[in-house]
Amino acid sequence: MDFHLTDEQEMLRESARRFLEKECSLEQRLHAPVEGGFDAARWSRFADMGWLAASLPEDCGGLGGDIVEAALLMEEFGRTLVVDPFWGIGVLAAQTLLAADAEKARELLPLLCAGELRPALAHHELQSRGVIEHVTTQARPAGDGAWTLHGEKTLVMGGNVADRFIVSARTAGDSRDRDGITLFLIDANAPGLQRRDVRLIDNRWTAEITLDRVQVTAADLLGEVGQGWTALEYGHARGLIALCAEAVGVMERAMWITRDYLRTRKQFGVTLNTFQALQHRMAEMLIELELSRSMVYRAMAYLARPLAARQAALSVTKARVGQSGRFVCAHGIQLHGGIGVTEEYSIGHYFKRMTVFENELGSAQFHLEQLALCECAEPVAARP
Amino acid sequence: MDFKLDPADDAFRQEVRAFLQEHLPPDLARRGACGFHPIRADQRRWQRTLFDRGWGAPNWPVEYGGTGWSHLRQFIFDEECALAGAPATDNGGLRMFGPVIYAYAGDELKARLLPGILKGELYWGQGFSEPNAGSDLAALATRAVREGDEYVVNGHKIWTTGAHTCDIIGLLVKTNPEAKQRGISFLCVDPATPGITVRPIIDIGEAHSLNEVFFDNVRVPVSNLLGEENKGWTYAKAVLENERATSAEVPLNKRKLAQLRHIAGHERSDGRRVIDLPGFAPRLAQLEVDLRALEWLTLRALTEKSEGVSLPYGSLLKVRGSELVQRIGELTIEALEQYGSYLYAEPGENPDARPDWPSGPDYAPGVAADFMYRRAATIYGGANEVQRTIIARSFLGL
Ligand SMILES: Cc1cc2nc3c(=O)[nH]c(=O)nc-3n(C[C@H](O)[C@H](O)[C@H](O)COP(=O)(O)OP(=O)(O)OC[C@H]3O[C@@H](n4cnc5c(N)ncnc54)[C@H](O)[C@@H]3O)c2cc1C
Ligand SMILES: Cc1cc2nc3c(=O)[nH]c(=O)nc-3n(C[C@H](O)[C@H](O)[C@H](O)COP(=O)(O)OP(=O)(O)OC[C@H]3O[C@@H](n4cnc5c(N)ncnc54)[C@H](O)[C@@H]3O)c2cc1C
Repeated sequence: MDFHLTDEQEMLRESARRFLEKECSLEQRLHAPVEGGFDAARWSRFADMGWLAASLPEDCGGLGGDIVEAALLMEEFGRTLVVDPFWGIGVLAAQTLLAADAEKARELLPLLCAGELRPALAHHELQSRGVIEHVTTQARPAGDGAWTLHGEKTLVMGGNVADRFIVSARTAGDSRDRDGITLFLIDANAPGLQRRDVRLIDNRWTAEITLDRVQVTAADLLGEVGQGWTALEYGHARGLIALCAEAVGVMERAMWITRDYLRTRKQFGVTLNTFQALQHRMAEMLIELELSRSMVYRAMAYLARPLAARQAALSVTKARVGQSGRFVCAHGIQLHGGIGVTEEYSIGHYFKRMTVFENELGSAQFHLEQLALCECAEPVAARP
Repeated sequence: MDFKLDPADDAFRQEVRAFLQEHLPPDLARRGACGFHPIRADQRRWQRTLFDRGWGAPNWPVEYGGTGWSHLRQFIFDEECALAGAPATDNGGLRMFGPVIYAYAGDELKARLLPGILKGELYWGQGFSEPNAGSDLAALATRAVREGDEYVVNGHKIWTTGAHTCDIIGLLVKTNPEAKQRGISFLCVDPATPGITVRPIIDIGEAHSLNEVFFDNVRVPVSNLLGEENKGWTYAKAVLENERATSAEVPLNKRKLAQLRHIAGHERSDGRRVIDLPGFAPRLAQLEVDLRALEWLTLRALTEKSEGVSLPYGSLLKVRGSELVQRIGELTIEALEQYGSYLYAEPGENPDARPDWPSGPDYAPGVAADFMYRRAATIYGGANEVQRTIIARSFLGL
């Protein structure tokens, strides 16, 4: 095993850190919030710096990196609580598209890498709660290989600025079947598609989408009819790791902000860092952070394993990171006292980000339930 | 020991319940049950209704216009009100400051301050904390210098809940800068006095209840001094103890748990109710366990208090009660899934305001804002770390 970054990866991280601290700091954003959480000029810079291409293969316009690059970037985004829709568009949608349809990926991903195309994944539905196969949106045959789409999608991350939607819909089976899910790429302006933008409590933006008799043709298909689940699982796996890497960045920064505050805030004639009760709390925060970071590494290590092992590893990671993140950021607020619950100070925003994290791609509870099912299903035997 | 509840207390509960059914307007109940900060107009209206019924001050003795109820009856009353969604009454005036006023103020001040609290016309703000005097409250530096019949006040308070809507501020000032605790006095200050500036502080629920208050040569009549000069610390400690006595917020926690059950029974995951998911109900049950333990500790503390035992049970209740409200919030946010992450803007003081809310069920708005605000539950009223130190010292002799 080798936990060291390559020189290129190290450079990517350094340049991201420098850029984000200079151009995207939380303080700047709080003073000049951007409507919709999107700044087109900055998105172009993301493209110029190769961030949108970093974790895509070369034949798709990428730089040949993989999940490690996405995770590195996301960790940096987490540190500064970036609200730009990098995750939704540059990770979740891009990786799903990559797995869904090789030919379309070669055609479209170079545009995404260049910042010229912004697809978002319209997959999550009201009752999904982490279950990838939960798709009730219907695609009904309309003759000549055409379909009509009906349904509602929520939490479409980056959906408010998307120009295309990757829509999952049922061409067969019911909401619990992996088979029968088909992916379509449709234009954001398609007739019958309605979008409502929603701001989340962590100041990122998302969209709810209603599909009311949206007409699609065979040309809009991504991959094979009924075979969309595999690509969704591929995209979700990478999305989950990137999200957890972001959470590690969130936690780490929240921890250091708190440490610095304890060193300067005085009560009872001394700085707060002299109180052992607070030192111990910070020690616990560090433990949680490092456990989480290790979990992200482990999830990356398991990414190439067979489905069941991979999914178990992802569940372990999401559960652990969610629990740790809440602990770290909640106590980050606590150790600040009153200033911690104010909108104008940073630490509360870290907590908000982790609160939303818990409801993305399945809560800790959901992933524990998945693991519990594995515990019950497997014979009592030592697992590696 | 006698664990039997008096049947008369049960009849009392029915009486309160019937009263609420008849007199609590549905619009008040609806707003009271959601998580946004209560609207002052609603609070006034409701306090007046209670006053007219003779229930203006459940915790005060009869001679000051209170009900003279036992602690148990007060507890029952608070619980029924919370479950019905009644707006929170003025905790400051009724529970924190009122009892200190009738215990320590002279007759003139009592006559001036107590009736307004009863009628809902005199809301209290607590002007204790300062930027450099939080946990170390006695380090406060707001200065009051006596000039003839007035004190001239200069200084800076922070975290003053409701300073923008209150009618009077219980203000701690330094009258003797040489001394720490023994140099503190307690003034009752009209926030409309010239020289007072209130600056809002927005909390992480994107709502406004907190303020900074600046005092620039503010002239306060000496007749607004509570008790004696330089004895303010005694009164302040009494206020803080009163604040903590109810800080387990059992009634509030009960309402929130009921709301969580309701939400978990309506939200669904692939057709199944969230409450039926295998991992969910045990966590709900755990919260119920913790709530019951807290409830009975509260009952014990109330009984012992009425018997004159003065151990600071309030600190125990504060620690666990504040943690519980946060944990209930956590599970509620989870039960709501995406609606727990949506930003529903605070409607503000106008009860008819219809902010531009995203979609979602009726019970969604306010939950996230309240969850965020309640991060402060383990901080306000004396942070939990400080409470633990108090517990270690006074119960354990450490
Ligand atoms: C099973 C076992 C095996 C051991 N094996 C070895 C061995 O192989 N070699 C060897 O040399 N020793 C060994 N020890 C001894 C061990 O290192 C000591 O027990 C340990 O350092 C604690 O010291 P103590 O028992 O005197 O407890 P104390 O130091 O008296 O501590 C009592 C309690 O106070 C806490 N405490 C102490 N100081 C502080 C502080 N500053 N802040 C906060 N809390 C504090 C401690 O955490 C502990 O909870 C062993 C002990 C045990 C129990
Ligand atoms: C929502 C809200 C409403 C409030 N309303 C009011 C109000 O109406 N009126 C009013 O006067 N005040 C109000 N307060 C202020 C509140 O009482 C203080 O915030 C609280 O006492 C903590 O002080 P601080 O914020 O300065 O934190 P600090 O005292 O700076 O504490 C920061 C952290 O250090 C810890 N700490 C401090 N000292 C010690 C120690 N000796 N040992 C171990 N840990 C320690 C604390 O526990 C905390 O975790 C309110 C606060 C909030 C957040």
